[in-house]
Amino acid sequence: MTFEHILGLTISGLTVGMIYALIALGYTMVYGVLQLINFAHGEVFTVGGYIAATTLIYTGVDATTPLAAKIGYFALALIVSIVLTSFLGWMIERVAYRPLRKQSRITALLSAIGMSIVLQNLLVIIFGPEPIIMPTAVVPTGFIEVFGVRIRLLQVIIIVTSLVLMGLLAWIVKGTRMGKAMRATSQDMEAAEMMGIETNLTISFTFIVGSALASIGGFLVAMYYGSLQYDTGFLYGLKAFTAAVLGGIGNIYGAVVGSLILGLAENWGVGVTLGVLAWLFVFGLIAGLYVQILRAPGERVSHIAEEFRTPEYERLIRSQYQLAPVVAVKTLLSERTDALVHVSARHAVRLMAGNIVLGFFAVLFFMNGEMQFASKWQHVISFAVLMAILMFRPSGILGDNIQEKV
Amino acid sequence: MAVLDRMNSMFRRAPRWTYIALALAFALIFPVLEQYGVIETLWLRLGTRTLVYVLLAVGLNLVLGETGLLHLGYVAFFAVGAYTTASLSSPRLGYHWNFWVIIALAMLLSMLFGFFIGLPTLRLRGDYLAIVTLAFGEITRITFNNWESVTNGPGGIPGIYAPNLFGWVVDKPGEFFYLLLAAVIVVVWLLNNIKTSRIGRAWNALREDEIASHHSGVRPLQAKLLAVVLSSGVAGLAGAIFAYYQQFINPTYFLFMQSTIVVCMVVLGGMGSIPGAVIGAVVLDTTPELIRQLFTKWLPDAVGADFLPGVQTALQQDFDRYRMLIFGLAIVLMVIFRPEGLLPNKLWRREVHEDDPRDQANTRQHMFDAEKGAQDLEA
Amino acid sequence: MSDVVLDVHSATKTFGGLKAVNDLSFQIHAGEIVSLIGPNGSGKTTTFNLISGVYEPDSGDVLLRGESIAGLRPDQVYARGISRTFQMLRLFSNMSVMENVLVGMHGRTQANIIDCMFHTPRMRREEEVCVEKARAILAQFPGRFPESRHDQPASSLSYANRRRLEIARALAGEPKLLLLDEPVAGMNPMESMEVMQQIRDLKEAGHTILMIEHDMKVIMGASDRVIAMDHGVKLAEGAPKDVANDPAVVEAYLGRRGADTAS
Repeated sequence: MTFEHILGLTISGLTVGMIYALIALGYTMVYGVLQLINFAHGEVFTVGGYIAATTLIYTGVDATTPLAAKIGYFALALIVSIVLTSFLGWMIERVAYRPLRKQSRITALLSAIGMSIVLQNLLVIIFGPEPIIMPTAVVPTGFIEVFGVRIRLLQVIIIVTSLVLMGLLAWIVKGTRMGKAMRATSQDMEAAEMMGIETNLTISFTFIVGSALASIGGFLVAMYYGSLQYDTGFLYGLKAFTAAVLGGIGNIYGAVVGSLILGLAENWGVGVTLGVLAWLFVFGLIAGLYVQILRAPGERVSHIAEEFRTPEYERLIRSQYQLAPVVAVKTLLSERTDALVHVSARHAVRLMAGNIVLGFFAVLFFMNGEMQFASKWQHVISFAVLMAILMFRPSGILGDNIQEKV
Repeated sequence: MAVLDRMNSMFRRAPRWTYIALALAFALIFPVLEQYGVIETLWLRLGTRTLVYVLLAVGLNLVLGETGLLHLGYVAFFAVGAYTTASLSSPRLGYHWNFWVIIALAMLLSMLFGFFIGLPTLRLRGDYLAIVTLAFGEITRITFNNWESVTNGPGGIPGIYAPNLFGWVVDKPGEFFYLLLAAVIVVVWLLNNIKTSRIGRAWNALREDEIASHHSGVRPLQAKLLAVVLSSGVAGLAGAIFAYYQQFINPTYFLFMQSTIVVCMVVLGGMGSIPGAVIGAVVLDTTPELIRQLFTKWLPDAVGADFLPGVQTALQQDFDRYRMLIFGLAIVLMVIFRPEGLLPNKLWRREVHEDDPRDQANTRQHMFDAEKGAQDLEA
Repeated sequence: MSDVVLDVHSATKTFGGLKAVNDLSFQIHAGEIVSLIGPNGSGKTTTFNLISGVYEPDSGDVLLRGESIAGLRPDQVYARGISRTFQMLRLFSNMSVMENVLVGMHGRTQANIIDCMFHTPRMRREEEVCVEKARAILAQFPGRFPESRHDQPASSLSYANRRRLEIARALAGEPKLLLLDEPVAGMNPMESMEVMQQIRDLKEAGHTILMIEHDMKVIMGASDRVIAMDHGVKLAEGAPKDVANDPAVVEAYLGRRGADTAS
């Protein structure tokens, strides 16, 4: 395996990761505000791509169109897609989620699944089951050479666009009144309402922003792969959700980090050989142990009775565990099992169960000679990551500032 | 909605067994009607498929309705059952095992599968459990899709032998209908017995409040595992018979959509109600076909050949899509307007609810407890 | 002493750096009603959670009739004979009144999965006994749960009746010790007095009760002994009157200045 090969895989991993991030942000923002898995978000993403592609097809853009007009059509498609998709996101919330806000989360999730089925089948009825083909004329085709690796210009565009959008989102959340309202609503909807924040408006805004990001993601995917199918969003949605959970759902930085990790893991995963995979499993076991010790602070905080949960106390408790990583590394180096006192009995049992599951996956992968780790197992990586992360560390990598949500 | 409630109370006036007897009588003569040409074979095939769904819906109701766990990978157990039959009773691997052995093995395997998947995942609650089970269902399907040496991958396993039950070779749709009907009756009887026992009550208690039930002596993980394992067994049974009936299976029978269809059936019928699950399965599986027949055959025959040609072609071409569209809409409308389902578990109707403002007030009140306690002390 | 039902022996529970319960010791004797009081955050609920199996004490022990129950799961604690109610009502709302009480007997019944599948005679006998017992328990709340209400959903009851039903469910476990977490929270004075009377009746019937309460009338009227806590530490223990007048307790509730003006 050459350096160029790895660099190439890294670039595609980053590209895919960025697209996951655009979708994952929508999941994580909605989850932050409503504690709801917006199951229809993957379909919103597909619809965004479909609208952009359809607009471009209607403009009749082709190779002979002058560059200025191409850019104009491109901008038109982008705007139409963002506006319509945002409207769709807003409408989904109004129709399917708002009436259920006081109900249990399972009820809302059922409604979301129903919405996802409706959107997917509407797409087929309107556009047919065949993939929609993106007009190639607007897709930049150039290459850049870095260290002897040819990188598609489009990949650079995707990465840069995503970074700009994420910066914009960070500014909205941190720097604007609406962002402040969003953060307040996600902390405590009732209290926010009492403080005069229009929570309904804030929630609508969250859906609109999330859907706009997803629609851009859909457009980028349609350009990257040249086509889009009605069920593309299901898989992308699930993977983006995995990424959001990986990073700590409800945390927008976590969503980006999780997406990049997942994108890289998938692309490296396809490229590496079984030998490397074996090392990954060893690493997974060690990481599992490490994470078990690390997770202790977050979990202890969440177990505190409501009556203690003031910010001061939580800060105090967290400060006690600042050194947890050091402790964890010491544990691993010294092989002292009694250092596991930091992990209560229940955690230890869960750790063992986790290792059994990892072992199960290992057996699954190795049980058959033909089951080489090829691209046909690519999706399984994501699903396995999802299952593992939810079982071991449901609060995700950066997710320690959310309350108990599982 | 008021109409539905009135129908409900109207139907409740007659004793329950009359409806069970009516339904059974109808089911028993259904294949006979086909034999004498009263109805087309199409309807018998539909009825057979409906019975498979009834089994699945009744099984999932155990998990979703009784125990309140949203399981989105249910079709995986169905797949395990189906692939057990297909592997052990087809030319693919060259086995031709006995029907009863295969049925027992299919149920056992899917129950084991349910156990090992449930053990780590059932610690999760609510929507996270839903997503994990979804992921697990997809992994199962992809595994069947990629494990070519046994499952032949996307090509599927053809030529599954007809089952032989003590000399009775079941190979006509009508015979499968009776076989499935027997399975439904046994399964419903057993599950209804469990539902009205201490185990069923423990499940319901878990659905209502896990912490309180844990403090009332219920072991949550154990009880949930039992529910998942039993319902996996039912799905395995359904899958095994389905594979025999279909004579051919491939991974596309076990898409995520199938899981959601069964979820829709349970929700539509009324979570936690066995008759509800049965009705939900029957309604959702037969209504789309009825609509299609209505627009493509009965209405044109009655009115004239050119009746609504657009609708006709649309229904002929994209029938499955419209079916799923209706399912999706049904589930959204159902949870919003009638979360208790068409035929709810009787207690879900809250007609006798005494409104008490303290329900809400109580939550707020504790904020001011310190002051209240202080005043009391002074007093 | 031989009649000690519950012995909490220097139990400590720490959350991070916060000692929610710090070296707490107390004993409860058979047939007693003991109230646990203290301002919010004083560790009352944590104490309940330590006893009922939600938490395992970091150090110290909890003994039920001389047998350690520290570190057991809630269902195991329940099986050993401690039932509890909750500060925020936790009923099975969509189940009937009767079923709520029957769930309370889950740990006391034996029918296994085969019995339940086939409704064997053994299971039916057990079920009949349970229903009889549940009727008797509901009858302990005169006029509140007439036969006609047994099959109604718990959510249809009035608030005060739901609180009573929660106590009935706890009684179904034939507890050696009953933990009541604010049994009269949110009730009006009339209802409070009635529940207080019922708690006294439970004592007459031989039950041992540990309760968290804020309502001083109920504390004074029902309890034999009061334990006051603050910051996870026991401040005072004794007869209700003495504890209420204990300067340390008054200070915990009202602060330094409040204590001065009160005295």
